[in-house]
Amino acid sequence: MIKKFLTTLILIIGILLLYIPILIIMLLSFNNSQRPYEFNGLTFKWYTQIFSDNSLFSAIINSWSIAICATIIATILGIFIALAINRMKQKYKPFVMFLNNMPILNADIVTGVSLMIIFTLLGFTFGRFTMLLAHIFFCIPFVVLSILPRLKQLDNNAYDAARDLGCTHMQAIRKVIIPGIKIGILTGALIAFTMSIDDFIISYYTTGEGFSNFSTWIYSRLNRRTFNPAAYAYNSIITIGSLLILIYINIGIRPGGKKIEKN
Amino acid sequence: MKKHNIILPLYIIWLIILVLIPFILMLILSFAHTDGLDFSNISFSLTNFKEIIDPVYFDAYANSIILSFLASLICLLLAYPIALTITKFKNNKLKNIILIMFILPMWSNMLLRIIGWETLFQPNSILNYFDISLNLIGSPIAVVIGMVSTYLPFMIFPIYTVLNKIDPAVIEASYDLGATKTQTLRRVIFPLSLPGIYSGITMTFLPSATNFALPERLSAGKINLLGNLINSNFGKTFDYGFGSLLSVILITIIFILTIFINRKDKDGDLLL
Repeated sequence: MIKKFLTTLILIIGILLLYIPILIIMLLSFNNSQRPYEFNGLTFKWYTQIFSDNSLFSAIINSWSIAICATIIATILGIFIALAINRMKQKYKPFVMFLNNMPILNADIVTGVSLMIIFTLLGFTFGRFTMLLAHIFFCIPFVVLSILPRLKQLDNNAYDAARDLGCTHMQAIRKVIIPGIKIGILTGALIAFTMSIDDFIISYYTTGEGFSNFSTWIYSRLNRRTFNPAAYAYNSIITIGSLLILIYINIGIRPGGKKIEKN
Repeated sequence: MKKHNIILPLYIIWLIILVLIPFILMLILSFAHTDGLDFSNISFSLTNFKEIIDPVYFDAYANSIILSFLASLICLLLAYPIALTITKFKNNKLKNIILIMFILPMWSNMLLRIIGWETLFQPNSILNYFDISLNLIGSPIAVVIGMVSTYLPFMIFPIYTVLNKIDPAVIEASYDLGATKTQTLRRVIFPLSLPGIYSGITMTFLPSATNFALPERLSAGKINLLGNLINSNFGKTFDYGFGSLLSVILITIIFILTIFINRKDKDGDLLL
């Protein structure tokens, strides 16, 4: 009985720790006062200002466009890289996996600084392009890692059978291999997107020329008058929106769907 | 399989350019003094190594280790029972709802979540309406709470993944052989879940010690961690040599961890 009480307590503490800040942000998004310590009435004005504050709105658009582009590019490249790693000789595999895992394990700030150094030396102009490149860079390993275990489960003869039955190389990949690793691809893309849209530190080091995503926009405006509580409003919409989507995916159409279970 | 033969070498070159070369450059910079990234006036010396043992920075090292360690420990103590409870849910729908509850916060902006705590910890906060003033800004507690709140999901999921994979037959065997529930947990489930714990610690300890925005906000700049040191050297004082040395030390630690984890986890599925 005590044990059950304890685990319930821990579950509640965990959930509170995660949700208190989110609830505060939601509260602030309805707060008529711009000062976070006083509450003087409900308002929806911050919700309309998401669209009227040009710098915030373009930062949001940048976040989405970078995350979508990085996810698509990283997913497509990741599929072929995973296929190649799966087929490569055991001898060199640890080296490639080591390089592949480095960006995941590495501290964000070290990744950010590394990229900043190499982009500077390559003479790149910092901004949209360098940020996208950085995001593709840290997204690919996640896609590769989620596809590899699925590829391992796949029957190696399936591809050869497809080829024997007259498929071309691309047809065999498209019709036999891709359907077999579909869940891995979706998981990888989802993780890549999540990492990209919320990224702050790496974006901070690889952007420039006034190009900012949502996170760098917030960071550069903290404690300044240009900070707009519309950011709270946008974040609350995202939280509620993703909650609805996740519930819809998991409970609505596929009870027991395993897609998002992993991370 | 021609296509594969092209893409893999390209990917390796891409990784060498973006991972290995910056590392080598930072290694060189550690022994050098330069004007930012201008290598024309490069002079080699060991000043950066002298600077690193300067007692001015000891606080930052100690804080990084102690606070991140505390945060990881609390994460582990919370995450293990949580992960274990989730695996035990028979009802798949309920299980998914709980899982969603722990995934969802990650889709809320990290900086804003830190600001959420910050507004709560200020002496003047909305809690004043209930006659409470937490006034925690600047205290180590605030930083640790922020860290736990930010990185808890990264501890839960690796442990959950491992626990979920344990063959139920193994646990039944343990009961059949006469082990009690506690013994089974201690002697069977726990050892089998160690890889998940290792990867969870890596995913919480290092980010906690190197996230510069979190201590900056929750300690009002009073508590500096490793991330703040690196950030100020690269972003403010442009002392690339010292910043590089710190980064190189961090990378070395991560190199060792990567090798360790790769050995434990051949499929690489614990990093997700």
